[in-house]
Amino acid sequence: MLRDSTPHPDVSNAAPRSPARRAWFQSAGQGLHAAALTWLLGRDLFECPTAIAGEQVASNSARRRYDLKPRQPHFEPRAKSVIHLFMNGGPSQMDLFDPKPELDKRHGESYFEEIAGEVENPGAAGALMRCPYKFSQHGKSGTWVSDVMPQLATCVDDIAILRSMYTTNLTHEPALFIIHGGRMVPGLPSMGAWVTYGLGSENQNLPAYVVLDDPKGLPINRTQNWQSGFLPPLYQGTRFRSTGSPVLNLSREFDEPDRVTAVERQLLAGLDRIHRKQRIGQPNLDARIASYELAARMQLAASNALDLKDEDQRTLEMYGIGKEPTDSYGRRCLYARRLVERGVRFVQLFIDAQIWDSHTSLKSGLKSACDRTDKPVAGLLKDLKQRGLLNETLVVWGGEFGRLPIAQLPGDKNVENAGRDHNKNAMVSWMAGGGIKGGISHGETDPLGFAATEKRVGVPDFHATILHQLGLHHEELYYLRNGLKERLTGVQPAQVITDILA
Amino acid sequence: MISARFNRPRSVVTLVCLWLIASGHAHAQQRGAPAANQQLFAEQVGPLLVARCGQCHGSKQQKAELDLTSLAGIKAGGESGPLLVAGKPGESLLLEMVVDGEMPPEGKNPLTDQEIKLLRRWIESGASLDAESTSEKVSQWSVLPILQLRCTVCHGTRVRQAELDLRTRESIVRGGKSGPAIVPGKPGESLLLKRVHAGEMPPKRKLVEFSIKPMEKPEIELLSRWIEQGAVADAPDRDDSTAAADPLVSNEDREFWSFQPPRRARIPRVNSSRVLQTPIDHFIVSALQKKQLDLSPPAGRQTLARRAFLDLLGIPPTVEELDRFLLDKAPGAYQRLIDRLLASPLYGERWGGLWLDVAGYADSEGIQHSDSVRPFAYRYRDYVIRSWNADKPYSRFILEQLAGDELSDYSDPDKITSEIHDNLVATGFLRLAPDATYFGITNFVPDRLNIIDDMIEVVSSSMMGLTIKCARCHSHKFDPIPQRDYYRLAAIFKGAIDENDWLKPTRQSGEPGKLDRYMASVLTAERKEWEADQQRIEDEVKKLEEKIVEIEQEMVATEQQQRIEKLPASIRDDVARTLVTPPSEQTDVLKYLAEKFGDHLKVTREELLKINVDFKKSHDEIQQSIKTVREQMKPQPLIRALWDRGEPSPTYILKRGNYLTPGRQVDPGVPSVVNNSDQPLEIQKGAELAPGTGRRLALARWLTRPDHPLTARVIVNRVWQQHFQQGIVATLDNLGHAGARPTHPELLDWMAVELVESGWSIKHLHRLIMISAVYRQQSSVTEEHLSRDPENTWLSRMPMRRMDAEVLRDSLLAISGRLRLEFFGEADGVEARDDGLVVSTPSGGTWRRSIYVIQRRTQPVTILENFDRPQMNPNCVQRRNSNVVPQALHLLNNKMVYDLAVAFAERVRAEAGTNRQQQLERAFLLALGRPPSQEELELSLRSMEELVREWQQEQPDRKEEAPQRALENICHAVINLAAFIYID
Repeated sequence: MLRDSTPHPDVSNAAPRSPARRAWFQSAGQGLHAAALTWLLGRDLFECPTAIAGEQVASNSARRRYDLKPRQPHFEPRAKSVIHLFMNGGPSQMDLFDPKPELDKRHGESYFEEIAGEVENPGAAGALMRCPYKFSQHGKSGTWVSDVMPQLATCVDDIAILRSMYTTNLTHEPALFIIHGGRMVPGLPSMGAWVTYGLGSENQNLPAYVVLDDPKGLPINRTQNWQSGFLPPLYQGTRFRSTGSPVLNLSREFDEPDRVTAVERQLLAGLDRIHRKQRIGQPNLDARIASYELAARMQLAASNALDLKDEDQRTLEMYGIGKEPTDSYGRRCLYARRLVERGVRFVQLFIDAQIWDSHTSLKSGLKSACDRTDKPVAGLLKDLKQRGLLNETLVVWGGEFGRLPIAQLPGDKNVENAGRDHNKNAMVSWMAGGGIKGGISHGETDPLGFAATEKRVGVPDFHATILHQLGLHHEELYYLRNGLKERLTGVQPAQVITDILA
Repeated sequence: MISARFNRPRSVVTLVCLWLIASGHAHAQQRGAPAANQQLFAEQVGPLLVARCGQCHGSKQQKAELDLTSLAGIKAGGESGPLLVAGKPGESLLLEMVVDGEMPPEGKNPLTDQEIKLLRRWIESGASLDAESTSEKVSQWSVLPILQLRCTVCHGTRVRQAELDLRTRESIVRGGKSGPAIVPGKPGESLLLKRVHAGEMPPKRKLVEFSIKPMEKPEIELLSRWIEQGAVADAPDRDDSTAAADPLVSNEDREFWSFQPPRRARIPRVNSSRVLQTPIDHFIVSALQKKQLDLSPPAGRQTLARRAFLDLLGIPPTVEELDRFLLDKAPGAYQRLIDRLLASPLYGERWGGLWLDVAGYADSEGIQHSDSVRPFAYRYRDYVIRSWNADKPYSRFILEQLAGDELSDYSDPDKITSEIHDNLVATGFLRLAPDATYFGITNFVPDRLNIIDDMIEVVSSSMMGLTIKCARCHSHKFDPIPQRDYYRLAAIFKGAIDENDWLKPTRQSGEPGKLDRYMASVLTAERKEWEADQQRIEDEVKKLEEKIVEIEQEMVATEQQQRIEKLPASIRDDVARTLVTPPSEQTDVLKYLAEKFGDHLKVTREELLKINVDFKKSHDEIQQSIKTVREQMKPQPLIRALWDRGEPSPTYILKRGNYLTPGRQVDPGVPSVVNNSDQPLEIQKGAELAPGTGRRLALARWLTRPDHPLTARVIVNRVWQQHFQQGIVATLDNLGHAGARPTHPELLDWMAVELVESGWSIKHLHRLIMISAVYRQQSSVTEEHLSRDPENTWLSRMPMRRMDAEVLRDSLLAISGRLRLEFFGEADGVEARDDGLVVSTPSGGTWRRSIYVIQRRTQPVTILENFDRPQMNPNCVQRRNSNVVPQALHLLNNKMVYDLAVAFAERVRAEAGTNRQQQLERAFLLALGRPPSQEELELSLRSMEELVREWQQEQPDRKEEAPQRALENICHAVINLAAFIYID
């Protein structure tokens, strides 16, 4: 294991009590004491004066400090980190993981009237449309996968497919708010922010929550997909770019000799020391000095994490790196492995242009999306497994909603080029590793695949399960705000999907 | 759905009798389990509920909208929905509450095991209440909300397809073009039901376009039963809280500190070693002395000046302004400084900006990827800046934002004064929430309810300091705010914001003659100027077009001449004459010739363009000019506003906040707990000058009563927090039970009363605070402070504060001489770079203050976002103050910050010359408001020397530039100093 976990003892999350404060105060005059420095590293000094009734309401001093130190989960975790392979656009459930013989039979039959209120573009609604690919069973488990995902098909015994997922909105933006933040409201913390808020990180020199978005462009909802919302900004996702400086502003955006920079930094540190010396007892100032130091260390750690020099050829091939059309996504998958290896808690991959949003040309479009991702995703699963990392890494695959069993016709009404429109009533995701039972397909949809029927899994259940594998109880992981215990899963009850747990 | 209520039994005895009769009746008809179950209810369960729950959930008082003493009440459930799932005790809310110990509430005797067992047994065996629940009377108030939800968009207030209005029983029976919609007593003959059953209504292909869903089965059944029973027009089950004694909120509830009007407390007498300046000092010192502390000594004048500038204006003092203050040795110099700052137009930009946080201002709609820009949103921003600069009474400021449209007559477009304009613009406050309802698919009733909810949150958190939002789904957990208070507040806004009569955020109108959400009532002068400008452009275009015609005619004549030349000489003259002689004067010969050669001589513009290169050239040139002129056309100036539309739909309590489960109907109202019954809310329809419901105006007047318990306290607390980092009540948005308690309650009240009595003058409040010895203290921390006041709760010293995001950016621009002071108007653009960085676009190498940079929800300016400028979802009542790595990275590595450092260095050199010490002194003075200390100076000089050497080695061919390069590094270091961003 490569985890460079922090060497410092776990310090209580609360502000030090008086004696500790006194000691620190006394040492403050002679430069920053090592323990104090650690304590201040990357801390977000943040006021959280809201208290629930009865809890310190008499005083307004309920200040809390937030940080990225590793924290104890609520119970024994099955996974230490998460890799979320987010599939922008809404992958089609009945063309990938949920075969529907009935749909084949009734191909061409009209069905619009039955689902009228659920069709965004009534003008383009066509008849029932069968899956353009063949389904077959794979692995010891005999899991059904369609033939556009040949590589993933070899991993099915490690995967639990959630066939009966559904969501509550069928447009991209709100559906993205739901799948990433739990509810159809902008400005909520994303799942990764909740996880890092709950668990911190095992590597203090890297961000706890890393986003690997597509270099070709930001996804719909842009950076809102990984925001920290009302949680302190410390927990927001940090974008790592695969070319140039991995983090925004991580290195100089202007030309300057290194030695000049060094002198300037020395001067800055010197002047800050003089300033601080005259202002003892101001923890903000120490935290600020520490954050300037951390900035320098992060530059090194981040560059290392994305440097593929020490990966052998076999590994690169597993991910499809160096070949089209898999190179770009393959790289990000490999980065994801390297980041979880280094103790990053939550890694999230995005893919550009909503490649799964198959409104037209379902057959060729879906195939091209699979061609870009199938090998990299399978490569990631196999690589994690061979390194013994899959046990402790939860891999999650899925989009924001599913698709309709009827055709969506293009402008010329040519069925050959038909696609499928959005559908909130059924969608598909899968999970692997991190204590998930492999080789199962959970739940059912109706015979046409329009709506989840058996063992329905709502997005809050999906979130609760991810938190559960990390040792977090979705109702215990909360943040007090305006008198309300805010949770990723909201106020409605959510259920962990126990059927898929190993 | 609300169920019909039986006449409420007046006593337990009659209730039990009723049940006994009901069960007896059941006995006669049915045998076996159900009957036994009903009997169990009548004999044991019913009386138990009356005895143990009836006090709070009875006919007198219905906490949580629940009546457990009537059959109908039990069936209807409460604000949390149905109580019982027959056969499933585990899923029945009633049992859950009891088993979890939530009910009866703390302090009351819990149910005995025996009693719980009884309940469980009854639910397990069927939870029957009476024999024939299907014969239960259906009220029109169960049916009308369904029609409202599913039908009235096309058969209602604005649109009456087929002349049908389905809003009231009367209009339903009257029907439309095709006759009555229903036949009372005969569901089979009722057209409405026929159309619904046939799946024709609502029309399937139109569902998404009109954002409606088809009627659900139970809804159709209910409608059918209502018709079958004769479609009775029963009276609504109304909220009765307007009665003198509100059964849900007790006088004891009203005793909580923040629900009592503020009273001016006696100023405490204290002995302090410091010179006390205002009554504020007495209150603070009095509390400090209880901790054996006193105020810290006053800060130095330079520190004080920088503090005051950054606090009031949001940018550091210039050297001249600093000198002016430092050289003013006469008494009262500091007071004069404060007066100067309060008079500066930069003040409104800083403090108005803070209000924009609270209001949730943004320039775009949000939610959708397109994140459409809101045209003319900036008018509200400018209105806020103007209001703060003018020290508009805070009460008036509230009045305008809540009900500006009801304050003025804006019907005559030629009489729009700046006051009317501002009144209308102010109402934009209620339309700031993110909004995605411009698409059918995201414009369903629940989507709209979310936007209304955001609006209520903005109003209640900004002006009332209450978390009323909690009561959307259930009565407030901590405060005495029943669920119906939320819906009463929603009803207040319904004349303008109605989920059943929705105006989409896009500008295209659904209503003839009106642009949705926009008004054309700009200042008469502005409109006329625009019209004149339009006219000028049109005139210019017309002139240019005439010019084309002129050239064309000339060219056509030449062409015709050429063609005539080619004709036989004998007829040339006559043919030429046909072109200039009007037909009526033509001789037969000419007529003949005209007919014969007419086509030959006809030259169209298209033809001319093809055959005449010169004409094409002139033509294209002029067309280009026309295009250029047309580009000057500006869109019609509009106001983004809100106005009362006069016909609000009825408001129902939504159980669990679910739009599918409407409960009782409520009237508009304000939270009962802050409303003295001797001063009820007075709503005057069409009051003042404008027509409408008058509801918002009543709310605004109520909020700005001098003795309102919350309004003045909330704003005083906010202003205080801005000066001292923490509020007297730490939770700015919540002065209720779950909020913090005031650290200095008497001081808060004293200031609240002082504010009201000063005519709600915020500037008066600033003066009081800033003149105080408390504000003028040093920020140094002593060991005594750490042991007795570690968190600075008691203000034993001035807190050290970090610049807000906007203050940081504006200060960087100011000291580097790149800040352009240009007020108001359209927002400046931003550029979203490929790498994700969002930067504001300069104009001529300078930038305006951050408040003028466009606030696209999806494109937050990176430097502002990194330094905690919040996203507005929907608003931000209290900013966080973080210290994270991206901040350091931004200031150290960002190109724009670097460029500003270079500009800063240029300025220093221009103002201080080439002497290094003088340069350093100037740089420190500009950035930190003070010269460097000896130690700082020595260190900096040494570094400067080293930097010069490095640059000379690095660029041997440009040695002469080395000193300036070194100065740039110094300036870059200075703006990275903690001393720059942290305010002493």
